[in-house]
Amino acid sequence: MPIIRSDPVAPKGKKDAARHREKQKDAIRKQLPEIIARESIITSKKGKTVRIPIRIMDIPHFRPARDSAGAGAGQGKGKAGTVIGRRPGTGKPGEAGDRPGEEYLETEVEIEELIEMMIEDLGLPRLEEREGEGMVAETRFKIRGIQKAGPWVLLDKRRSAREGLRRFWGFLRYLEQETGQSELECFDALKQKDGILSDALELLQSGTYAPVHTAFEPFPIFYPDDLRFLEQKKDIEYHSQAVVLAMMDTSGSMTDEKKYLARSALFWLVAFLRKIYERVVIRFIIHDAVAEIVEEEEFFKKVLGGGTRAYTAYELAGGLIESEYPVSEWNVYAWHFSDGDDFEPARAAQEAKKLIERGISMFAYGEIEPSGGHHDSSLLAAFKELLDVQVHWKDGFMVVSGRESPFLAVAIQKKEHVHLALREFLDKERWGHGI
Amino acid sequence: MESNDWKRLEIVERRSREIAEEFGLSTTDVLFEIVSSQQMLEGMAYRFPTNFSHWTFGRDYERARTIYEHTGGGLPYEVVWNFETPQAFLLESNPFALNALVIAHVWGHVDFFLKSRYLQRGRVFSDIASEARSAAERFRGYEERYGKDEVEKFIDAAMSIEWHQHPDPFFEEPDEEGARERLIRQERAKLERALDFHSQFKKPETKAEIREIEKRLKRLARKTPPEPVYDLLWYIIRKSPLPLEAWQQDVLSVVRSQARALAPNRKTKLLNEGWATYWHVRIMRRLFAEGVLDAKEHGVFADFHAKVTRPLRHDFNWYAIGPALYEYAEERWDRGQFGREFDECDDPAKKAYWDAKTGKGREKIFEMRSFYSDRMAIEQFFDADFIRRNDLYLYTQTVDPQNGDIVDVVAERDPEKIRRILKHLFVHYGTPVIRVEDGNHNQRGELYLVHEFDGFELDPSYRDRTLENIHELWGRSVHLETVIEGKRALCTYNGRSVSVDTGGSAADGLIEL
Repeated sequence: MPIIRSDPVAPKGKKDAARHREKQKDAIRKQLPEIIARESIITSKKGKTVRIPIRIMDIPHFRPARDSAGAGAGQGKGKAGTVIGRRPGTGKPGEAGDRPGEEYLETEVEIEELIEMMIEDLGLPRLEEREGEGMVAETRFKIRGIQKAGPWVLLDKRRSAREGLRRFWGFLRYLEQETGQSELECFDALKQKDGILSDALELLQSGTYAPVHTAFEPFPIFYPDDLRFLEQKKDIEYHSQAVVLAMMDTSGSMTDEKKYLARSALFWLVAFLRKIYERVVIRFIIHDAVAEIVEEEEFFKKVLGGGTRAYTAYELAGGLIESEYPVSEWNVYAWHFSDGDDFEPARAAQEAKKLIERGISMFAYGEIEPSGGHHDSSLLAAFKELLDVQVHWKDGFMVVSGRESPFLAVAIQKKEHVHLALREFLDKERWGHGI
Repeated sequence: MESNDWKRLEIVERRSREIAEEFGLSTTDVLFEIVSSQQMLEGMAYRFPTNFSHWTFGRDYERARTIYEHTGGGLPYEVVWNFETPQAFLLESNPFALNALVIAHVWGHVDFFLKSRYLQRGRVFSDIASEARSAAERFRGYEERYGKDEVEKFIDAAMSIEWHQHPDPFFEEPDEEGARERLIRQERAKLERALDFHSQFKKPETKAEIREIEKRLKRLARKTPPEPVYDLLWYIIRKSPLPLEAWQQDVLSVVRSQARALAPNRKTKLLNEGWATYWHVRIMRRLFAEGVLDAKEHGVFADFHAKVTRPLRHDFNWYAIGPALYEYAEERWDRGQFGREFDECDDPAKKAYWDAKTGKGREKIFEMRSFYSDRMAIEQFFDADFIRRNDLYLYTQTVDPQNGDIVDVVAERDPEKIRRILKHLFVHYGTPVIRVEDGNHNQRGELYLVHEFDGFELDPSYRDRTLENIHELWGRSVHLETVIEGKRALCTYNGRSVSVDTGGSAADGLIEL
């Protein structure tokens, strides 16, 4: 039987594969609160993509439990107990065992994609639309036109030469007309008198004229008016930029676990801001009883002793705004993470109020209290007392927000609260007031 | 592909067919098609040359495409369908020797299609390809009319239970009324005999027994199904109290008949791939010996053959274990290592060197391909010797407590246990036996299913989600009687959540087996 070449058919696989991918995304979306608090994400160095385990999209069917039938059969050497394969697990030790029978597949997802999903999930408008909203950011010089005066460095030689030649021809025709002499003679006189029209005319009419140049060779004649300079203008470019003043309580009571929650929240907040602003700068301030500006590394690692005075950090933040990040040019986000046991809470609240009054975009306070317990810390109580705020609870999650001011305080007690805190932060309403 | 290659490929096709016939294989005309990688990958993912749209096909396509792209061209892919005129794909970008290998391999499959009693059964569904093509058309229409999500939901739910067919592949369509009449006839006969006081053969019947028969007769008159049904989709299509709309019935019917057409392949995958691999080596050797293929091409062939038949650490490689199975059987039957005398010999050394020069090897393997299913072959040949020779093991997955890694660990090397588990895996090919016991449970049209427990409990998460899918098709509560942690249990999905009842007293609610 002859072998035939089959007619190409309309590709179907791609379309159905896209549908599968869409379903996978839905699954990721459902796991978002758990995924975003994942350690592997915020510690990923490359920052572009993360690997997350998602359940294999499968048609459910009756099948024997995996533990009874084993995972499968294979061929090769090795006694019972020999490891034949290993791949990164679903996070913390022991976690995978919590979901017997479910098969997970490590999938690479772009952080960008996760952010998009969170935004969709929260029902927010796409943030890019806000991009470029006006903050004066950078000025530089730009060539915008031509002018008749300027510094020699900006002399436009080509344009100037053209003007000079134009003047030469103008003079030449004038001389021809006035004296009736030939083009060559007029040129020669003009050349002898270095392009000065009145002297050349005088020479031609004097009767003592004797030709010097025998070849006609046009040359430019410059009068001050003929020079052309490039025009340079100050160019104000409108950039959108934001500075994050991240403040962390590093007194002894801030355990690694608390810092991890702070770090996780900070990671995502910065990621969101990066979507809104073309440029995002982060400055790190740590404090115990006194505050200091540090590098990122120290921010998460350093443990100070002593007491806790948040106002010192707020003062320092105020100083930074004053000296480096004027609110006229920067959207300023001040975020503070602490467990809230402050020695001078009233003074801290005062300083926070001052920061808000500078016109910053947001003052957010994240109270990290993994131990739970719903008593107000001294710091939170002071905020509530001094600022005009409203308090609401959602599924055991407390949110305190300023009625008129861009103040926000949340209590983060566990990993899942990071997602809720972000939700509050990104809340549509608040964006309306904030920027 | 160059025209010269084309001509040569036709020569290979013709000559390899003749060689296959010389070896005693049955052949028929095969439609060989040269296709692009996209068509090949779709052919593998979509079950048939064209089929309806579904995300699981897309998923499989994507997976195969990723492997294809990462490993570069020249993958020994082949697709062959058991149609009236079998149809096979050859990948246009494959090296010539590889396409020759695929053709040789296909002749093994074709003989299997024609001679295996299971695959002969599959040929009954020969129209399935054109049915799939027209179903694709109709489903597109349904999507437009009833919405993509709605159609997808139904296909998903149907696929959930598509392999729950009658355990006997030769079983014709169930016939509910026929079964009812037959059962009623049997009961009536019993009753008549009981009431025939003059019969001398009559054994004394008690009044209670007569009442029992009358009760059964009464119940039989309206019970649905009158006797247990294993073909879940068949029952749902006819009896769903929803009721199903015409398009929904169509979707379920298409999924069901495709699964029925493919079921014989599932039951004989090891034997079928083993047979094709066993023969492609022998056919290729002849082609090289005859000079149809040249020495340079031998390297390409040897490479790919080794690639396909290498043992896998994480998988049961059909292409390695399958031919090994035939070779093992052939060797034993050649040396007369079978029969009572051999079985009863308990001297291992004597058994190992047993050679009665019987020479019945070829005969035996041809018989296996005609009459065996994979389960039968495993039952008979996966003995300690075979399992050791092939280094077979079972492995499990655990979590490394140190860092949370998922680790695959060799779990079982004891041949007897491996044989027992593999045998089980192949009994129903991964599909536990579930029967419809009652379609009008609680007199409220609820569906009562029974899992025929065989020592292996169901995966709870899959079980619950499957019950949800069945509910999608049935519309009322769905019950499943099964065993959980060694105890009889009743799982019920009521449209909102799954409840599991393992309580001792609740066992009263269970239908007597």
